[in-house]
Amino acid sequence: MNILLLVVYGVLNVLFVLFVSPLFISIIKKVKAHAQGREGPSVLQTYRNLAKLLKKETLYSQNSSWIMRATPYVNMAALLVASLFVPMLVLPEPTNLLGNVIMFLYLLALAKFFMALAGLDAGSTFGGMGSSREMAISALIEPIVIVVFAALAFAYNTLDIPQMFSGALASSVLIDPVIALIAISIFIIIIVESARVPVDNPETHLELTMVHEAMILEQSGKNLAMMELSSAMKQMLLMGVLINILVPWGLTADFSPASVLISLGAFLLKAVILAVIIGLFESSCAKSRFFRLPGLFAIALFLSIVTLIIEVFA
Amino acid sequence: MIVAPMQSFAEILIVLILATAAIIIMKRDMGSLIKTYAAQSFLVAVLALLFFVETGGLSLLALAIIFLVSKVLIIPRFMGRVQKKLNIKRDVQFHFLSPITALIASVFIILFVYLSFAPLIAELNRFNSSLFFLGATVGISTVFMGMIVIFTRKQTLTNIVGYLTMENGVVLFSLFLTELPLLIEFLIIIDLIMLTLIATILAFGIDSTIEEFHARLNPFTSLNKETERKDEEED
Repeated sequence: MNILLLVVYGVLNVLFVLFVSPLFISIIKKVKAHAQGREGPSVLQTYRNLAKLLKKETLYSQNSSWIMRATPYVNMAALLVASLFVPMLVLPEPTNLLGNVIMFLYLLALAKFFMALAGLDAGSTFGGMGSSREMAISALIEPIVIVVFAALAFAYNTLDIPQMFSGALASSVLIDPVIALIAISIFIIIIVESARVPVDNPETHLELTMVHEAMILEQSGKNLAMMELSSAMKQMLLMGVLINILVPWGLTADFSPASVLISLGAFLLKAVILAVIIGLFESSCAKSRFFRLPGLFAIALFLSIVTLIIEVFA
Repeated sequence: MIVAPMQSFAEILIVLILATAAIIIMKRDMGSLIKTYAAQSFLVAVLALLFFVETGGLSLLALAIIFLVSKVLIIPRFMGRVQKKLNIKRDVQFHFLSPITALIASVFIILFVYLSFAPLIAELNRFNSSLFFLGATVGISTVFMGMIVIFTRKQTLTNIVGYLTMENGVVLFSLFLTELPLLIEFLIIIDLIMLTLIATILAFGIDSTIEEFHARLNPFTSLNKETERKDEEED
């Protein structure tokens, strides 16, 4: 029975992340378009793009190796497994298998590592440039991600993501003061990891600015669809962490259809609001110079270290 | 005594004040510096209001209203106008510490304040709760972070923001540890407004370029030059 519930949870969570994640990409695009006074594409456009790409032929450069062929599958697989780790709608019973936060971070890092390798693999100048930039940014943001999640683990006294969520759910309204600080840090991590404006511009293919786009420039057809879908999933997973830590209301441990539906509605509402906030944030600032980025990261680092100080000493 | 949800709300306000102080250290854009200061003052005012709701002390209500009027509305408005007139958009020059090192330094400052307050707090703490410890340490840390802003920035306007941040820290500290009489708080606010006025007027002299300032100082010099040139041409 227990195993069955776990399987139900896994299938539900993975499918939910898989099918809903492109929605938030479109919502952010729509908000940005409105901020610029345009109408913007329909919210279904990302789905249409993915469907179109899935039908197209996949081409490989003559110089590319197996890495180019394997990367989309590695990325997709890593993100599918990672989406088992972040409960979006229903909390599973605690297990030792799923939810370890260090494993979660390493899965994301694995996907990123293969993406950077694929950028180098085809031997185009843009891909190499994108990979080197992405690695430079990663080297800066990765310690901050570790400190933020360490602070979270310290605050909830567990390394297990579902247990953190149930801790957040069990504590009173607006819980610990430090969660407010961690939330700001996680927001910055979302911006960095999903290649959003002050760090990277997802809209352009301008050689001066592109980081993420440069790495997947050589991908085509089905593989490109998988790369785009996996980055959308990554964004949604991080959004899920932020939402379920900061405002976990609606999240349930009950598998009955009614409570799952309520949870679904609550999550969609909160996630759409978060997507609108991300869109507004992106519209409110310009892409910053590469060497100014550490400033943004330093704020996240400062807040997470202060969190640790408060947690340890107070 | 403060009840649990109120206490966590107050703690969130306190840590957010610390976050705004960090943003003030990092920001280079003048407009958003002033806005961040306004947000910080707003948080302090809300905190005072929260204390009024809890304890019912009317002087706290008066304090909150004074903060809202003076520090959230008047001072940021005035500084924004001066900034537009001076036409300074960014402050990108730093002394001694770059913003990132300043932020790391402030982590150590917070740690230091925490450790040095730990033995003292039992004596000073009126209510013997963790909230007051947190508030007092964040208050003093904010004072130090404002000081960092003052000595690392070159623009006078940013220095004024740093000074105002320091004052916010003092207010935070006084909210938690000792209760100043309302009259003194009120006089401090008036002092603050006067000081901001005077300092921003001085900033006209310090921050504007010498040519601009000279032109403003001697409005007829340019006329004189023109007539001189005409004289020379005639010669």
